[in-house]
Amino acid sequence: MSGVVITETVRRHFTSVGFLSFLALLAIVSVGFAQFDRPAAGWPSLIVLLAIVTGAGPIGPELSSGTLQLILVKPLSRSAYLLSRVAGVVLAVWTAAAVAAACELLGRKLETAPEIGAALLNSMIEVVLIVSLLTFLGSVTRAYYNVAIYFGAQIVLALLAGFGRKLPPLVARAVTAVDHNLFPETPPRLDPDWLLLVACNAAVALVLACLAFRRREVPYGAE
Amino acid sequence: MTIQVRGLRKAFKAHEVLRGVELDIAPGEVVGLIGPNGAGKTTLMSCLLGFLHPDGGSITIDGRATDDLDVRRRTGFVPERMNFGRSETGRAFLRYMARLAGVPRAEVDARANAMLERLGIAAAADKRLSQYSRGMLQRIGMCQALIHQPDFIFLDEPTSGLDPNGVLLVRDLIAEQKARGAAVLLNSHQLAEVEKVCDRVLFLGGGVISHRETLRHADRVVVAVTLLDGSFDAERVARIAGAAPRENVVIATVEHESDIARLVKELVEGGAGVIDVRRHTADLESIFRGAA
Repeated sequence: MSGVVITETVRRHFTSVGFLSFLALLAIVSVGFAQFDRPAAGWPSLIVLLAIVTGAGPIGPELSSGTLQLILVKPLSRSAYLLSRVAGVVLAVWTAAAVAAACELLGRKLETAPEIGAALLNSMIEVVLIVSLLTFLGSVTRAYYNVAIYFGAQIVLALLAGFGRKLPPLVARAVTAVDHNLFPETPPRLDPDWLLLVACNAAVALVLACLAFRRREVPYGAE
Repeated sequence: MTIQVRGLRKAFKAHEVLRGVELDIAPGEVVGLIGPNGAGKTTLMSCLLGFLHPDGGSITIDGRATDDLDVRRRTGFVPERMNFGRSETGRAFLRYMARLAGVPRAEVDARANAMLERLGIAAAADKRLSQYSRGMLQRIGMCQALIHQPDFIFLDEPTSGLDPNGVLLVRDLIAEQKARGAAVLLNSHQLAEVEKVCDRVLFLGGGVISHRETLRHADRVVVAVTLLDGSFDAERVARIAGAAPRENVVIATVEHESDIARLVKELVEGGAGVIDVRRHTADLESIFRGAA
């Protein structure tokens, strides 16, 4: 991994007006969510949204804009670059999640700390999976097709799940398994099995992303 | 040889773009790559930079593969169109590129400032890239390619979008890199520019290097001396210059640039009226027309 790429990725997020505005909004909303009975009722969804928006950036869009070609002539392996970009994005989103959790915790006068801590950990692991999946999709597509495929897959899986009873049992089970692995529902408390599943799936997505990106051709000048 | 290409083949589906390209570039040599649109110049450049995987043949840079990290550490590349995070400032972009290229952290700022100054964009260093004109983007593209003093330089239309001052600046920079011992491959449609800076020109056509032309010899200088009509004795001129005049122009070869003055002096003392003296290079326009 490259410290230069990680630092630069984090720096760019924290010098982006959009990211900082989102962070401010997140802090305000999180304090507001402290009035709800259930801890961590709202901000984890916003963190998912932030992970999708920021996780869409690496590889695919960079290839289409021509940025990637400038990077790939530098002394940095493709896998190192990809993993460093993911690490940078994840760190930026993790910071946002920590800010949201801290704001809610302050709003609740430090009560329900275990629940908010669990929600933060779940959220952080989920962010890794989302960013890894989007990066994998970005490593095999151009521009922001990764986001389109990500949402498309969610919609298709939801539709197929809706036809659950009409599908052959094997297909229905496969659809459920894919959905469960790619878009796992976050549990309300700490669940080590869930954490392990999500972490493993993220690792698989990153390995596939590295393999795809290593073999990928990145032509320039003929977008 | 520093950059060596043997039997390079590359096809996109059924369309074979490169059909056995052979290419050598030595240290301190500037080689121009010309050819019509669609000839495969960008494809060749992409293969050399490791962006595309060749279907056959081999590319070695200093005896190593194109994706060798040490080769990359010593490679500079200027794309035809500079694209990068447009919200970044020129200085931030350059610092990032320098760090990625392996420039020590302590030297980054000094080198970035020197390059920005050299390329005449120091005043715009803290502006966002989105505010840069095409020519300024091209200049910062040169900055990022040369900031780590690479040994292998790939330039794709580096003067496109540049004003005449910028063109002269790029010409000087290429000469400096050559003097430093870097191997430079210049892909350009601007034949006059290629003629001015390149030692050799390769014409890419039909998927192969169909024509090679040496514009400058390392060990001698070729000059074209235009003589005043009727002022000279052809035999005498031939004795002095070592070549007979054709249509009042004598193409002479001397060992050093300093010998040009001596040649002119001898011609004038021999009674010939000298109208014009210039370096003689191949007529690329004719070659281009003929080969295309």
